[in-house]
Amino acid sequence: MQTDNKPATETVVAVNNLTKKFNAPMTGEEFVVLDSISLNVDKGHFASIVGPSGCGKSTLLNIIAGIETHDPSDGGTLEVFSHSDAEQPRVGYVFQNARLLNWLTVEDNMTFALQSQKISKDLWKERVDKYLEMVGLEGQQKNYPLNLSGGMQQRVAIARALAIEPDILLMDEPFSHLDEITARKMRFDLMEILMHAKPTILFVTHDLGEAVFLADHIYMMSTKPAKIFKHIEVDVPRPRKPEDPVIFDLEKKLVKEFFSVLDEQLLEDG
Amino acid sequence: MSEKATAIAIRIGSIIVLLFLWYFMSIAMADPEILPAPMAIFNAIIRILINPGPEGKSAYFHVGITLGRTFATFGVAMVLGIAIGLAMGLRKVIEHSMLSLIPLMLTMPTILMVFLAVMWFGFNEIGSLVAVVGVVVPYVAVNIFQGAQAMDKSLIDMAKTFRADRNMLIKKVYIPQLLPYIFSAFRFAFGMTWKIVALAETFGIKFGIGYMFFFWFEQFSMEMVLGWIIMFVILMLILEHGVFARLEHAAFKWRPANKLQT
Repeated sequence: MQTDNKPATETVVAVNNLTKKFNAPMTGEEFVVLDSISLNVDKGHFASIVGPSGCGKSTLLNIIAGIETHDPSDGGTLEVFSHSDAEQPRVGYVFQNARLLNWLTVEDNMTFALQSQKISKDLWKERVDKYLEMVGLEGQQKNYPLNLSGGMQQRVAIARALAIEPDILLMDEPFSHLDEITARKMRFDLMEILMHAKPTILFVTHDLGEAVFLADHIYMMSTKPAKIFKHIEVDVPRPRKPEDPVIFDLEKKLVKEFFSVLDEQLLEDG
Repeated sequence: MSEKATAIAIRIGSIIVLLFLWYFMSIAMADPEILPAPMAIFNAIIRILINPGPEGKSAYFHVGITLGRTFATFGVAMVLGIAIGLAMGLRKVIEHSMLSLIPLMLTMPTILMVFLAVMWFGFNEIGSLVAVVGVVVPYVAVNIFQGAQAMDKSLIDMAKTFRADRNMLIKKVYIPQLLPYIFSAFRFAFGMTWKIVALAETFGIKFGIGYMFFFWFEQFSMEMVLGWIIMFVILMLILEHGVFARLEHAAFKWRPANKLQT
């Protein structure tokens, strides 16, 4: 599903009418997990998919990352374009849990990703130092993950994904397992990183406030099957503040809209 | 007294109590040919260590032979066991065929396995190797298979999104997750291996400590038989707890609460 021919535009991820079906293991009954999803992520943009838990958002990210497959006969296309010299597009993935290799030091966890991506060894040290500093963990190179707090482990995971300088950085509810104070701090720091490194991000969350605060583009997704029912552009320059009235009003408006759609769905389902 | 000091005192105390019980039993029985006193055994060990034994072979020669056999057969058994365990984790066909064979092997009495091995393959190095492989490999394979099943799939997915190749996956993701299982198999398998080697030697393989057990058994010298056994058990305790426990500690230094357990 991934190609390396460069498009004329600055598109990094192009999803067109993507449908994914899934057969229940016991009954063989067919489920539609993703229902003609279309979205575009352009270079340097921050796109966010907001939807209720279990709606299939992670499935979409997994297909982009290549750890789940998309059967072309289900319909639709999904393309990821490389904007670097790499043969294949580089995908960085930050999961809900840090998913670090606990037996390797912080530095070795990062070089694991760099080596996997066949990035020249000469660049490793520079990349590790640069991105560890960016996530606020300078000096932690030789430490082991289990000596770090959950928030710090997630920072390492973000540094690891950034270090490969990915064409697309996928983030799957990366702050949902953290306490709210830590999560809030992480969001501010991510904003800071966005202003410096300008990565292209596809960020999945169930938290509309988080999406409005961080994203340029918001795709709102309903559940069963997952369908995108609205696409909004958030045209507010960074740095943003959560208490900024523009952000706050937009969040209120979207929450209202979001729940009216979900409630409607609930009623239909009986 | 700290908790640790108390624990050590109890450990040492229990050995002293055992020695006293032994001492009183030997006095009560008053038959040194059946149960010599602890001091007699201690003297026997000194004699074993100082004097050249039968055929002019010293204790160090026999211990060297047994250790050599133990390490060689142990190495072969570990490699085979790990390979089979991994293959079981990776291929359903191998998993199911092994899961019907392994219980058979594990249920077979060890002594019988050793006996059959030397009967079929001779009272030589091959016989002892087959005995060790037959007993130890099924155990190691089952342990590694359990480790392979407990592997964290989310880490494998993570590695795949970064496009880690097979070599990286095996070295950095699979093996470190298997290591605790490898170590637990390692400790147990080593204990089994030297006992099997000693047993095979007792059955008649030339030289080694088992050979000496049997030699002194035929001479009706309980002192020397017990002297050899106790000497060898102490040596193996030192190896298992002194050497292997430290290796294990070094391998798991990434665990925050990794205290040395001996």
